[in-house]
Amino acid sequence: MNAPASTTLPKPNFDRQGEQGYQERVDAAMRSFVREFGVTAALHMESCVRCGLCAEACHFYIATRDPKYTPVHKLELFRRAYFREASPFAPVVRALGLVKKPTIDELQRWQELIYDSCTMCGRCTLVCPMGIDIAELVKEARHGMYKAGLIPERLALMDRTARQWGSPATPAEDLPDILQEVSAEHGVPIPCDLAQADILVTAAPAELGDHTKALADAAKILNRIGVKWTMHQEGFDASNIGFNNGDMELQERLTRALVDTAVKIGAKTILLPECGHAYGAARWEAAKWYGAALPVRIIHMTEFLDELLASGRIRVNKIADSATFHDPCQIVRRGGLEAAARRVLAALGFELIELQDAGVSGFCCGGGGGVVSNIRATPLRAKVFEMKKAQVEATGAKRFVTSCGQCRITLEQGAKNTHWTKKTESLLELVADNLAQ
Amino acid sequence: MSERIPCVGDLLRQRGVSRRDFLQYTSVMASLLALPPSAAPALAEGLAKARRQAVIWLSFQECTGCIESLTRSFSPSLEDLIFDFISLDYQHALQAASGEAAEAARRQSMKDNAGKYIVVVDGSVPTADGGVYSCIAGQSNIDMLAETVADAAAVVAVGTCAAFGGLPQAHPNPTGAVSISTLVKNKPVVNIPGCPPMPQAMAGTLVHLLSFGKLPELDPLNRPRAFFGETIHDRCYRRPFYEKGMFAKSFDDEGARQGWCLYELGCKGPVTYNACASQKWNGGVSFPIQSGHGCIGCSEAGFWDRGGLYQPLSAGTTDMGKVIGIAAVAGVALGAGSAAIARKRQADYAATDKKEA
Amino acid sequence: MDLLDFARGPALQVALAVFVLGTLWRLAGVLLLPRLRDLSPAREGAPAPLAGALRTIVRRMWPRPEFAQATMFMTINSWIFHVGLAVVVFGLAPHILFIRNLLGLHWPALPSNLVYGVGVVTLASLVAVLVRRLRHPVMRLLSHAGDYISWLMTALPVATGLLATAHIGARYETLLALHILSIAALLVWFPFGKLMHALLFAFSRGATGIRFSHRGVEV
Repeated sequence: MNAPASTTLPKPNFDRQGEQGYQERVDAAMRSFVREFGVTAALHMESCVRCGLCAEACHFYIATRDPKYTPVHKLELFRRAYFREASPFAPVVRALGLVKKPTIDELQRWQELIYDSCTMCGRCTLVCPMGIDIAELVKEARHGMYKAGLIPERLALMDRTARQWGSPATPAEDLPDILQEVSAEHGVPIPCDLAQADILVTAAPAELGDHTKALADAAKILNRIGVKWTMHQEGFDASNIGFNNGDMELQERLTRALVDTAVKIGAKTILLPECGHAYGAARWEAAKWYGAALPVRIIHMTEFLDELLASGRIRVNKIADSATFHDPCQIVRRGGLEAAARRVLAALGFELIELQDAGVSGFCCGGGGGVVSNIRATPLRAKVFEMKKAQVEATGAKRFVTSCGQCRITLEQGAKNTHWTKKTESLLELVADNLAQ
Repeated sequence: MSERIPCVGDLLRQRGVSRRDFLQYTSVMASLLALPPSAAPALAEGLAKARRQAVIWLSFQECTGCIESLTRSFSPSLEDLIFDFISLDYQHALQAASGEAAEAARRQSMKDNAGKYIVVVDGSVPTADGGVYSCIAGQSNIDMLAETVADAAAVVAVGTCAAFGGLPQAHPNPTGAVSISTLVKNKPVVNIPGCPPMPQAMAGTLVHLLSFGKLPELDPLNRPRAFFGETIHDRCYRRPFYEKGMFAKSFDDEGARQGWCLYELGCKGPVTYNACASQKWNGGVSFPIQSGHGCIGCSEAGFWDRGGLYQPLSAGTTDMGKVIGIAAVAGVALGAGSAAIARKRQADYAATDKKEA
Repeated sequence: MDLLDFARGPALQVALAVFVLGTLWRLAGVLLLPRLRDLSPAREGAPAPLAGALRTIVRRMWPRPEFAQATMFMTINSWIFHVGLAVVVFGLAPHILFIRNLLGLHWPALPSNLVYGVGVVTLASLVAVLVRRLRHPVMRLLSHAGDYISWLMTALPVATGLLATAHIGARYETLLALHILSIAALLVWFPFGKLMHALLFAFSRGATGIRFSHRGVEV
């Protein structure tokens, strides 16, 4: 409803894109939901026993004790689509009207649950006694919300930008200039648009905006090991906002941009930046969009550092400080790099003091899955940040390290808002700054 | 001339039965009937004063087991007295008369004792095809029953056949056999089931009728509570083995020889109401379970059609195999069908999305 | 035909038929949906998919240490009534005979008195989870009619079994008939509600086990 802004009416917690009518939106969402139901999604939808344990794992529920943030509840409309249209008894369900079709009002109200209060961190997946991958299902539900034109406006804006620029951060044609500047500022050569290279190096909005030093750090290490590498306008942003928003077309386009560019320049490896969702999109989902096993190797910066240090191709000076580590959800819990990150920390000589919830069951920074870009979710994110801050303080560690740019930005924003003096550091930056001769 | 009709007390004195013996008998009877001790003298006095009760015993689709059981009772001398307490004016196995003379005796007794005689019935009554499957003296059982109970004081249906239909009623029941209470609606009917019934159940009920002039306390199925108020299971001496889960698995295995519970061998004790486990048979000597065979539930309706004498009570009674087989095939087919429907929907939606893109 | 004959005869037959038909329909209907093959390379050293699936199936029997505190009540209580139900269903001699009659399988029974005690504890545990479902804000939000029906279908056999054994409430043959009828009701309901998790849990956990072991994460 397009009611005029008023001090008496509450501001609706949803945004709308496009000119579709209400019924069209509902139908588009339903069609998309139904198409998600292969065996695995169906098994999960069938298996929930409403035990309520998922709530106990979700940082949004823990921070607010509001039952509406129960993870499986976020899937309610998705569940209804399943039972109405794809489940074994669906024809009977429809005939007897046993499950109601979602209404436009419900879809709009659900936007907040699916986008503002879910980072797709997967902690709920860990605790569910039935092994339901709730985080993955939320990601699938987002496909339908996108098709219905019901995603947060900020994310929609970034989506439109990425469709145009190939990145929500910067137009492709600005890349050479940015790299030029960074190169000059840090005194490190950064090749761009080479016609042939062995490694295609990519970045994410964090590296292209707030933390451009990371580009130089990566360059320093790559140059040190003497590989032929390049960044490239045609495939430079690995962050894949389509993956976050539920825009499957964009997800496929951005994925192909990376892979096709790598193939074009003869690269056998795509090096991802310190970014969580980039890893999920490229390492685990890219083959699905590509339609075949990828012809290139996808490697995350953390893995890359681990391999270089383990093989002795680089060495670092030891830092005799205590440190604690924030495990980015997409590369540790959902990515498998828990041990790799710790090996790098060990190589750096840190005395690692783990957070109370660390490793695979670490708490999300609260900003993943687009939540940090969703201004509407700021108050919620602030509550979650308090939990993270308390855990860090409790370790008494001197340094605070992570290996994802978006986590870093989320934590820095939280620090700024709460006047927390603890600096969030990057694993890549620490390795680059402490490279031994 | 008013000849004083001898009462039971007179008859006993004539036969030389001492008062002491008589009182002993009545106190045993009182306890069998689960009457309080104070009732024993009342029972004795009532019985002594009782006139010989006219009894007409009709036998329909029966095996004669009931009268055999009654005559094989545990104290023959006392049971003989019962036959002195009653005037058994018609009974196929015991009567001296035969043919038309027997039927005449029956009708005479009905006339002489109108309103006061008791009809005892054993055997079920066939009703199919007009009741032709059992006729006596050219009269169908249905007609003979109706005619005989018309002026009766009460009807006692002895044996499971008369009480509930029994063996003749077992599937497929070709003769359309029914119980007595199905046909007799306007007279009090007592059921004393059992195949055969316990002799003391039959005797005790008659004694109660004689001495108190009314029927003993009956349960909802019109069975005397004194004999049919508890299940075999609740009085069975092997119950501790049931509770401990110690069961004989086959006849003459180690458990059977140790006297363990016979539940697994089909004992229907838990759902059978009778006095076998407490009062026992043959003068209190034994009963089927004690002899190593499970209770077959012979005093319960339909015990022939309960799924087999050796099937335990917790087993189903129908053959599940075929039905489950069909259900399984149907289930998989329906599942495949619904998966196909879902896939088709998904394909259609994909086409729609493609068109709109 | 009295109530007990009906329960042991047609009621059980129909109930078992519906159970088999409905369960296979639901399983086949789910397992025959499209399957996505994961074309991404597995993490080096990742176990075979089946091994990954089995590991998760076993691991999810108990929560991770980090979640133990927050999930203590549900974990302990659920273990109690699940194990209790198993002991009662598979340990009581009459039940074993029921299964033997159906499938030909049998095994030694537990003392009936012991099983009775376990039955009482199981019923108490079931009541506890119902109270939780009615009072905890999260479970109240999530639960719908089917959840309460599933609870009833599970609790009634336990309750009627206890009543029948103790001869409380009606004549024994009536209580036994009600007990068997409650089993029939459970069998008929099973394929259509969440009780199906008894079969689905392995597939659902297994699917997540496969996904995560592929990525080198032990869940």
